[in-house]
Amino acid sequence: MAQEVNSASPIEMIRIVDLEKYFAKLHVLKGITTTIHKGQVVSVIGPSGGGKSTFLRCMNRLEEPSSGSIFIENVDITDHRIDINKIRTDIGMVFQDYNLFPHLTAIQNVMLAPVHVRRVKPKEAEEHGMELLKRVGVTDKAKEYPFNLSGGQQQRVAIARSLAMRPKIMFFDEPTSALDPEMIREVLDVMQTLAESGMTMVVVSHELGFIREASNRVMILVDGKIIEEGTPDEVFNTPQNQRTKDFLSKIL
Amino acid sequence: MKYQRDSLQSRKDFIEQWKVRYHHLPWYRRYEFILPAFIAVLLFTILALPSYGKPEGAVDTLLIGIIFFAFFAVAILILMDREKPVLLKRISSITVIGLFFWFFYRYSGAQWDRFRYQFFNISMLEGVGELYLIGLWVTLRLSVVSALIAMVIGLVLGILRSLKNPVLEIFLMIYIDFFRAMPLIVNMVIVFYALPFLGINLNAFWSAALALILMNSAYQAEIFRAGIESIPRRQVQAARALGMRPMQVMRLVVLPQAVRVILPPLSNNLVSLVKDTAVAYVITLPELLTQARHAVIWKRNPTPMIVSTFIYLATLLPFIHFIRLQERRSKRWLRK
Repeated sequence: MAQEVNSASPIEMIRIVDLEKYFAKLHVLKGITTTIHKGQVVSVIGPSGGGKSTFLRCMNRLEEPSSGSIFIENVDITDHRIDINKIRTDIGMVFQDYNLFPHLTAIQNVMLAPVHVRRVKPKEAEEHGMELLKRVGVTDKAKEYPFNLSGGQQQRVAIARSLAMRPKIMFFDEPTSALDPEMIREVLDVMQTLAESGMTMVVVSHELGFIREASNRVMILVDGKIIEEGTPDEVFNTPQNQRTKDFLSKIL
Repeated sequence: MKYQRDSLQSRKDFIEQWKVRYHHLPWYRRYEFILPAFIAVLLFTILALPSYGKPEGAVDTLLIGIIFFAFFAVAILILMDREKPVLLKRISSITVIGLFFWFFYRYSGAQWDRFRYQFFNISMLEGVGELYLIGLWVTLRLSVVSALIAMVIGLVLGILRSLKNPVLEIFLMIYIDFFRAMPLIVNMVIVFYALPFLGINLNAFWSAALALILMNSAYQAEIFRAGIESIPRRQVQAARALGMRPMQVMRLVVLPQAVRVILPPLSNNLVSLVKDTAVAYVITLPELLTQARHAVIWKRNPTPMIVSTFIYLATLLPFIHFIRLQERRSKRWLRK
């Protein structure tokens, strides 16, 4: 599985050095330093308000980091001379509230970025798009507008939309938090398959079952700091930090 | 078995079904009452209708009142009933309104022949056709040219305003507030009579166009800004996360969604722009209303003025319907 790829050839994908983020006076991220390797599936958990989403959004500069550096494939994306749009094409992002474009059908949503950003021919983009919709299991809804799709279907289309850019990294920002319980499974299944295919993923999630099964690294982010990280087994079964224990006792 | 049933049986069935179906209605809401009531009122009208002209005496006046309110009462019975078909409701309301105007025509004692001679006198239109053609051509050209340029400028200003750049904002606010507040007539006079002193010579057409563009682009900037700001930030972020550049986001994600919000006020603005072209008469531009005014003076009869209304109507109605169609199209992703 992904872990073996990791141990065999630890290619560095993301390196974060001393990342800090302020919102006005509010200190959200207080110096995060970590490295994520190719093929790793990293789950970020922690109490709400701990900076999980901000951490994720800093990594594709939807939020501007206040200080520190983020290297993606050894390119410092906090450097303002680089073209962030170029970097973002390699990073897929899935949001909590799907954020599909409501004026486009499912397949048009998937095709939009490849056609206009990657300059893929519409026909090829459509073929690839249909393939992806098949992979996430919403082929029959390809011509429907998002308003006519269930939450789970919308989120799966959103995943397909990100994959259409053939990203090297995928970020998931609480992808199942807005979903009804019976729809969570279908989205998690898609994510699990994706993880098994060797995609580098960073997932902010509260789905412990998924985290145990699919991820090979867990980070606990409390008050803007990573207080503990390790494999799911290590973190869940033998937590070292007292605050980790407190947090886990609340959610387990 | 089915086709062996005789007609008497099926008629009985029908009556049975009818009884069951309207069982819950009080007597005055049933068709069995409403239809005879309507026929009775109709017969009464035919028999008792006073003759044409201003009614003489209280009896005639009372009769007219009674007849009208009898129809009105039957219509009310139908209109207040939630279960009556919509088509029936439409017919009855139109009938009552039509009746009102017919009674007014019949009994108001107005001098209809003089009214017609003054305001709907077709013979007064002889020879003015050419005037109208020139006027219509100028009005259309002026409207289309100013509307298109104003929309382009309005869109650019609207986008610039949505950026919320504090420095740009000052200049945009000055432009927008100033030209929205400035009376169009003053604007045109200044452009046409004052600019030549500054060495800028514009003919009447382009002066009118410039004044219209300045005012309407200011209005439209606000319309476009409101439309753009109605799109949630998450939509922009989702698009940026896919690697789109800001202008691509605007073109592919924000504006197509904003159209839904922009179209109604924009069509308002464009319709009033077309009618505002009439102000150009102060700078002697031969647009439609100026030409109509010439015709009024020439023929000493206000009919040409009324006709110009119908020309405006005939020009604007297709446009309004086109916009309404676009509006429905822009909402199709919201439905079903």
